[in-house]
Amino acid sequence: MALKIPIPGRKKESAPEPGDGAANGNGASPNGTNGDGPTRAEKVAKAKQATVHHGTAAAKNTTDWLDERVNGTGIYTAMLSRKVPKGTNWFYTLGSSVMFIFSMQAITGVFLAMYYTPSATEAYSSISHITNEVFLGEFVRGLHKWGASLMIILIFLHMARTFFFGAYKYPRELNWVIGVVLIVLTMVMGLTGYLLPFDQRSFWATIVANNITASGPVLGPYLADFLRAGPDFSATTLSRFYALHMLVVPGLIGGLIAAHLFLVVKLGTTAPPWVKAPRPKGSRPSELVPAGVPMVDATEMNLNGHSGNGHVEVSENGASLPTAETDGAAEGPPSEGEAS
Amino acid sequence: MKARDKEEYLSEYEILKKKGKSFFPYAIVKDSVMFVLVAAVLILMSIVMGAEQGPKADPTTTTYVPRPEWYFFFLFELLKVIKPPALVPLATIGIPTICMILLILLPFYDRNPERIPWKRPVASISGILVIVAMGYLTYMGASAGSPNEIELETAPEFEQGKQVVAQAGCLACHNIGENGAEGGLGPDLTEIGAMLPREAIKRSVAIGPGIMPSYRGLGEKKLNEVADYLASLD
Ligand code: HEC
Ligand code: HEM
Repeated sequence: MALKIPIPGRKKESAPEPGDGAANGNGASPNGTNGDGPTRAEKVAKAKQATVHHGTAAAKNTTDWLDERVNGTGIYTAMLSRKVPKGTNWFYTLGSSVMFIFSMQAITGVFLAMYYTPSATEAYSSISHITNEVFLGEFVRGLHKWGASLMIILIFLHMARTFFFGAYKYPRELNWVIGVVLIVLTMVMGLTGYLLPFDQRSFWATIVANNITASGPVLGPYLADFLRAGPDFSATTLSRFYALHMLVVPGLIGGLIAAHLFLVVKLGTTAPPWVKAPRPKGSRPSELVPAGVPMVDATEMNLNGHSGNGHVEVSENGASLPTAETDGAAEGPPSEGEAS
Repeated sequence: MKARDKEEYLSEYEILKKKGKSFFPYAIVKDSVMFVLVAAVLILMSIVMGAEQGPKADPTTTTYVPRPEWYFFFLFELLKVIKPPALVPLATIGIPTICMILLILLPFYDRNPERIPWKRPVASISGILVIVAMGYLTYMGASAGSPNEIELETAPEFEQGKQVVAQAGCLACHNIGENGAEGGLGPDLTEIGAMLPREAIKRSVAIGPGIMPSYRGLGEKKLNEVADYLASLD
């Protein structure tokens, strides 16, 4: 089942449905309050009639149903058919590799959580159980353990890439800031996760880590007390670390990755700094494109698809087309149904 | 960055992006190749190295080897590089905090519009130095024992005192066998038993001669264990 990308230009090829004129024009309100166009519900009903007898109707209907509600194709278009600039190379795969390994950690983590007991008395034996008895248990533990190390390596490589490519400069400063927070949170994952097996190594290393935290200026002692859940290491410490490790910090990381990727899609990824646009001899780039020509933000795909009908996007061949918008999804079905 | 630089960058970027390829499928293919590679390395690592489990955590025993994961080694090493105890908080929390702030604010104080690495030597060289320093510290951490560990063999009856010495942080200033601060603030204790009688050792530890802090707080029992252990070193 292929997702359908509404190509706005294609709409013009379809025979206009009676009463559709107003809806196709700008400014038709989606809930049909302007009277002369069909309501959104009517349009959908029509779409159903038109497609219901087709063999692939079920699949298509689902796509359309979803599309009408979440405008998935708009997201799809913005995420996947966006352009990456000339010169994009293998270094640009590091960010998505971090994301990949984070998802691996989430998946293996869920399986470990099914067998793990975060109590001082049972944690160790539940880990023994996973390692020795559960089917593939040690393998999954290994994936999770070494995945943490790989994630750290990849995240540092990704940061080095963005540093040496100068990718943190205008207009991507915010993405760098989010990135630094992500790297700290990833280290916090390593710290909180290290205690969970509850063997000698992890126990005493955590004590030391906590004492180091406590020796910090101003907030240090309070932070250490918070982590330990009191002035001394206790049974609550373990469950506190567990909650941080499997709920709080991954939640924060997930949210920040979403923000990070939103900005990546919105601003586009950089070209390698040594790749330059070819330009006529002696001219400065600012002369090539006169001031006032809409730049990144104006020509960028809009992610939410709600920003109204006046939005213009310059297509490959230079023609101006209205971008995909929520209404386009509802109008899609009639144009496909003309063959029936 | 001045408005003109921003404008130049954006227009240049716009051209390069137009000349670029669609994310799907061109970038996706590279990403997927990378995913497969990462997954293969990961699977190999967990098959070859597995996930061992140490002895159960026991808060009452003191035979422990507090070693963090390797990616915290550089922090632990900072702890060792900086000797005077008064400066330890600076090493462990202060320096990392300052580094974090410098890192987060990077785009705001590096206002040089140049992006090519070899045309912004200050940034590039600083970056390389940071990487070298972290690599070096990590290597040091990986090859050295933990700061709270004494590898020197002892008779079992002195084991208890050895653990107290290891835990109390004496190795921050003293050297015992292969561990501790070689050429540190305090004298080498590897053969202290041959040089000082047990009672003198005990008095030193309790009083804390010179800049050494007093360890009377350990309590009589632990002081005796420490003295027994150190007196056995000869
Ligand atoms: C702040 C650093 C520091 C720490 C921590 C420290 N010491 Fe010392 N220690 C010294 C210095 C400096 C001397 C030499 C003092 C002098 O003679 O002026 C010393 C002297 C000694 C001596 C006497 C050695 C001699 O030859 O006279 C003994 C024994 C000793 N320390 C044991 C310990 C033990 C045991 C611990 C841990 C419980 C410890 N020290 C922790 C700095 C330290
Ligand atoms: C969980 C951690 C992270 C994830 C999942 C992630 C993901 C991504 C992805 C997929 C991209 C697209 C381009 C590429 O892959 O190189 C990207 C770009 C970027 N990331 Fe990250 N990242 C993470 C952490 C970081 C960190 C630690 C930093 C730096 C401190 C950072 C800074 C940046 C910057 C500046 C860009 C824009 C690069 C460009 O446009 O060329 N990110 N990130």
